[in-house]
Amino acid sequence: MEISLLINHQKHTLKVSPHETLLNVLRRLGYYGAKFGCDTGECGVCTVLVDGKPMNSCRILAAQAEGHVLETIEALGEHPERGWKQTEGLHPLQQAFIESGAIQCGYCTPAQILAAYHLLEHNPNPTEAGVRDALSGVLCRCTGYLKPVEAVLRASAMLRGEAVPPLAFGDRELISLPLAPEPPGEEEVPDFPSGEVRTKTRILPKVIFSPQVPSHLRVGKPEKKVDAIKLAQGKPAFTADFEMRGLLYAKVLRSPYAHARIKRIDTSRAKALPGVAAVLTWQDLPRVVYCTGGQSDPIPGPLDTFSLDNKVRFVGDRVAFVAAETPEIAEEALKLIEVEYEPLPAVLDPGEAMAPGAPCIHDEPEYVNFGESDPTRNIAARIRVDIGDVEKGFAEADYIFEGDYEVPKVHQAYLEPHVVLTYWDEDDRLVIRTSTQVPFHVRRILAPVLGLPVKRIRVIKPRIGGGFGGKQEVLIEDVAAHLTIATGRPVLYEMTREEEFIAARSRHPMRLHLKTGVKKDGTITANAMYVLSDTGAYGSHAQTVAGNTGHKSMAIYVGDGEYRKNPNIRFYADIVYTNRPPAGAYRGYGAPQGFWAVERHMEKIARALNLDPLEFRLKNALRAGEIQPFSIAWSEGREPRPEIIHTCGLEECVRQGKAAIGWDQKYGNPEWHRVPGKPHLRRGIGAALVMHGTAIPFLDMGGASIKMNDDGSFNLLVGATDLGTGSDTVLAQMAAEVLGVELEDIIVYSSDTDFTPFDKGAYASSTTYISGAAVVKAAQQVAERIRIRAARMLNQQADGKGEISPDSLVLREGRVFAPDGRSLTLREIALNALHHEDQEQIMGVASYYSPVSPPPFAAQFAEVTVDTETGQVTVDKLVMAVDSGVIVNPLTASGQVEGGMTQALGYAVCEEMRYDAQGRARERDLRNYHIFQAHEMPELETIFVETFEPSHPFGVKAVAEIPMDGVAPAVGNAVLDACGVNIDSNPITPEKVWRALQAQTQRRQNE
Amino acid sequence: MIVEYHRPRTLAEAIELLQRKQPRTYPLGGGTAINFKTEEPIAVVDVQALGLDTLEQQGQLLQIGAAVTLQQLIEFPGLPSALGDAVRHQATYNLRHQATVAGTLASADGRSPFGVAMLALDAQLKLIPGERTVSYGDFLALREEFLPGHLITMVTLSLQAKLSYEYVARSPADLPIVCAALARWPSGRLRLALGGWGKTPTLVLDGQGQEGLRLAAQSAFSNAADEWASAEYRSHVAGVLAQRCWQDLGE
Repeated sequence: MEISLLINHQKHTLKVSPHETLLNVLRRLGYYGAKFGCDTGECGVCTVLVDGKPMNSCRILAAQAEGHVLETIEALGEHPERGWKQTEGLHPLQQAFIESGAIQCGYCTPAQILAAYHLLEHNPNPTEAGVRDALSGVLCRCTGYLKPVEAVLRASAMLRGEAVPPLAFGDRELISLPLAPEPPGEEEVPDFPSGEVRTKTRILPKVIFSPQVPSHLRVGKPEKKVDAIKLAQGKPAFTADFEMRGLLYAKVLRSPYAHARIKRIDTSRAKALPGVAAVLTWQDLPRVVYCTGGQSDPIPGPLDTFSLDNKVRFVGDRVAFVAAETPEIAEEALKLIEVEYEPLPAVLDPGEAMAPGAPCIHDEPEYVNFGESDPTRNIAARIRVDIGDVEKGFAEADYIFEGDYEVPKVHQAYLEPHVVLTYWDEDDRLVIRTSTQVPFHVRRILAPVLGLPVKRIRVIKPRIGGGFGGKQEVLIEDVAAHLTIATGRPVLYEMTREEEFIAARSRHPMRLHLKTGVKKDGTITANAMYVLSDTGAYGSHAQTVAGNTGHKSMAIYVGDGEYRKNPNIRFYADIVYTNRPPAGAYRGYGAPQGFWAVERHMEKIARALNLDPLEFRLKNALRAGEIQPFSIAWSEGREPRPEIIHTCGLEECVRQGKAAIGWDQKYGNPEWHRVPGKPHLRRGIGAALVMHGTAIPFLDMGGASIKMNDDGSFNLLVGATDLGTGSDTVLAQMAAEVLGVELEDIIVYSSDTDFTPFDKGAYASSTTYISGAAVVKAAQQVAERIRIRAARMLNQQADGKGEISPDSLVLREGRVFAPDGRSLTLREIALNALHHEDQEQIMGVASYYSPVSPPPFAAQFAEVTVDTETGQVTVDKLVMAVDSGVIVNPLTASGQVEGGMTQALGYAVCEEMRYDAQGRARERDLRNYHIFQAHEMPELETIFVETFEPSHPFGVKAVAEIPMDGVAPAVGNAVLDACGVNIDSNPITPEKVWRALQAQTQRRQNE
Repeated sequence: MIVEYHRPRTLAEAIELLQRKQPRTYPLGGGTAINFKTEEPIAVVDVQALGLDTLEQQGQLLQIGAAVTLQQLIEFPGLPSALGDAVRHQATYNLRHQATVAGTLASADGRSPFGVAMLALDAQLKLIPGERTVSYGDFLALREEFLPGHLITMVTLSLQAKLSYEYVARSPADLPIVCAALARWPSGRLRLALGGWGKTPTLVLDGQGQEGLRLAAQSAFSNAADEWASAEYRSHVAGVLAQRCWQDLGE
């Protein structure tokens, strides 16, 4: 049918199918600001304005929109400087989002801005609750909503013509450590009905500075993200926004069985469907076994995966690939593929996987073992770490505490689904443009699978709409690549939201047993953990995730006194195959699982011994100067080498966090625990201490290259993979600091395997530290070349008077200064180098790997209200005080903390993925898989306790993952504090709490 | 898949389309609840040009045109605040601007807060052809019979009733595990509806006096088990929430 649409004041007449959505048409016409996120109206990233009202364009038929005024983000504003053409510049909302750090991956940004635009049109002076309501329909997985809400409030003030104070961009305040906490203010404790908004926003976090931290011009400043301007405009920056002539669309046929053999597969009817370009099954592809986990060589896991196989191992496993002229034809073709399955008995409970006689999930002869993997017993990996003498430690203890804990499978829920575009370029090299965290691993791992040498593959990582570990996986690139090889044509494969839930990766569910020996005075004498981890049908990150569970959560408590010097720690793990969707990497990488158990367990021990829970923890916690105990015992299957902890701000984190949440006024205060007039409500407060790591030592490497341009600007090329975290920005800040220029003079590009140096990718909380050190080294090389040339130029000017040595020159404010005050601009030096004399390209290339993985430390706090009649838990406030070393950008770093805490909040109370007796998923969309929305957030507070990590030129440690570690146990401990019940499996759902309360009542009656 | 889109200008035209045997034809309100990817070929009749988007108070009755959006509804000044809460729990900002009152009611499952609240308020639906008025409760019970070939044109609500809405969920904006809505009229008439479970909201009682309210709620959910919660839990919570609604109305 033919329709006319009025989009951004422009009339389009076009042919549409009756079922075609407005989102589809908008993107077809090049309005890429509206994104694909779920197709069911749950996520809101496809928001457009219809007659001024924000609506989800994936739920509007194009035909429905005829006769209405449509506006997209493209109508709102544009870059203020476009050569000679004057523009009106960006809309105040776009400006505020950029300045406030409200943009992380930027995938939901256009939608948030449009929803806010509508709000401000109708209410120029909204309350915070009003803003949160307006943003409620747009999910964001990166920010925790705090900065977007603040951005809208700032924009509203700008639009009202009020003076909006700049963010605190001034110099940092230097405070000596240790610091006496500020006395808490006279804060009213409001009475919160459930669901009411209660977040007070604050864009910039509190930063406690150490006197060791030198002051810098660019490092430590809340700079705007370098990619924010394009993202605020909804520019076509993501994989799916790339246009390609002759594009085919891929779809994947997926298994309805948890475990089955494909006896027969007939694709003839599918192939005969007009518009179908290729149908591939296991019979069409070479049988190459590989591992999808995106890690360095050699892959620390078994090789157990084929692009397509004659066996399916979970509901949602791949059966066939189709490429067709339209997505609809491809879907139609899937229905025409005839498959005869021989269903096999399935293993759905990890507890039964290793039992004798259990069905064998991996019986393929090509299987390649790694370490102690044993597919005949469904063991993907085993870990046995013994540090000290645990049995001796138990024998010396006054008390032994044992406990069982369980953590669920959860999803990363990035808003941009996995998406990849492949095509042959003019040199017959295969280009893979993909939403990945690991472009270099994609190239290396896929080469043998596709039958191509590495050199004939080019992987491009554009902007990424969030990953959180889910894209540290070579998950879908092979689908499009095989189809491009089969057809010779470009192929786009974009996963649906349902596919994301049933067939992408997730956090490993685990069952954990803890046994801890403690003396009467609270000294831990030995600590042992056993983990049964469920990797699902394939073992991609099986070993390394479970290893990290021990490496982080079992390293933090070493004991006190003599035990501190020689801790007794045991960590055993069996990681088993089951016929459930594979688990993989997810922010925290095993540590959140471990900390749920350890921090719930420590709380119980402290309470049983009548010790202050925080003092008990600090008494036994790792300190600066000590050895990371796991560093002498385990390194992902490689040779372990001892690492000394140089910086640990844990005690100060506890002090600051306690002050921020009002611990001393609340903990142990019966008055505070009651809610006046609401006898069924009980308040509680809880804490958890956590540590993480910063990169993988002796393994993770990042490279950077910097070249100087005619105008004294620089191109910074990094293999590091900004997936929305802001790593491009912090890397640019470090380069700008060394080169003495403004951030805007550093043009960052990441990442392209043809153009940028190698980087292992965005994982293991490593980019600021590893890639950052590489950037600093490359920048120092460039600075050195600049100084040498500048000295020569100045000496030529001086006619032999007062020879200046390069070492005495300082790069600052875009110039090079001599001690006598003379200076040259970088432009003068660049023109001299590129054009005038002794010509050279001033450039630097460097890489870095680290012998250590300095841990960040944090104290996380939660305040909850428990409804003792229904078991409902409402989280009222989360505080995180974290030592992440020196903070390069407090705006982006606090954004990491807020977003991480919010994901962890979901882990605490509502996120889980469950399966029925046939292995079918309960959660298949964002309606049933609930992630927190803007209008239901608790108050969030972030405090940075800076230390100067000596192993990095700017003293940084990691920040990205640690926020994920301690929220759930802190909430669990707060629930215990509120009503006296222990919930040992997360999420803490109302029914679990209610059952525990019932059991408590029963026990009391029996006593 | 949607194979036909129609935007009739008159109710008669709409009814003619809806009464066709092939393809099966459904009214299209906002579009938030229509599954665009149905297996069978379907046709949709967009109601946007039928003038059904009026919202009027007539005495103590609120006459809500079928195409009035949830956002228009909550912006109506005299709306019971608890009904506004239920609407907000039903849908976020974007969806409220798009979803229509009739479409949301027609497609409501047991986890629909708005459906539960409207069931408690004894909303009346006007259907054509036939100018027939049915209560929302009757409609839910016989949805498969009422809907084909028909169009909801109006939803009527008594503004005399006071409403209380309570729920339990894993997080404040998550789907309800149990929700309860209790309406009380000046006459003393009480209507309790429950949700969070099942294919439709559940009417628990319609009568006088609150004696037995808790028990009625408990027994209404005594078999309300699914993959999200046990019947034992739901039954208990239904009783608690019913009681809380009563207390809320009493104050």
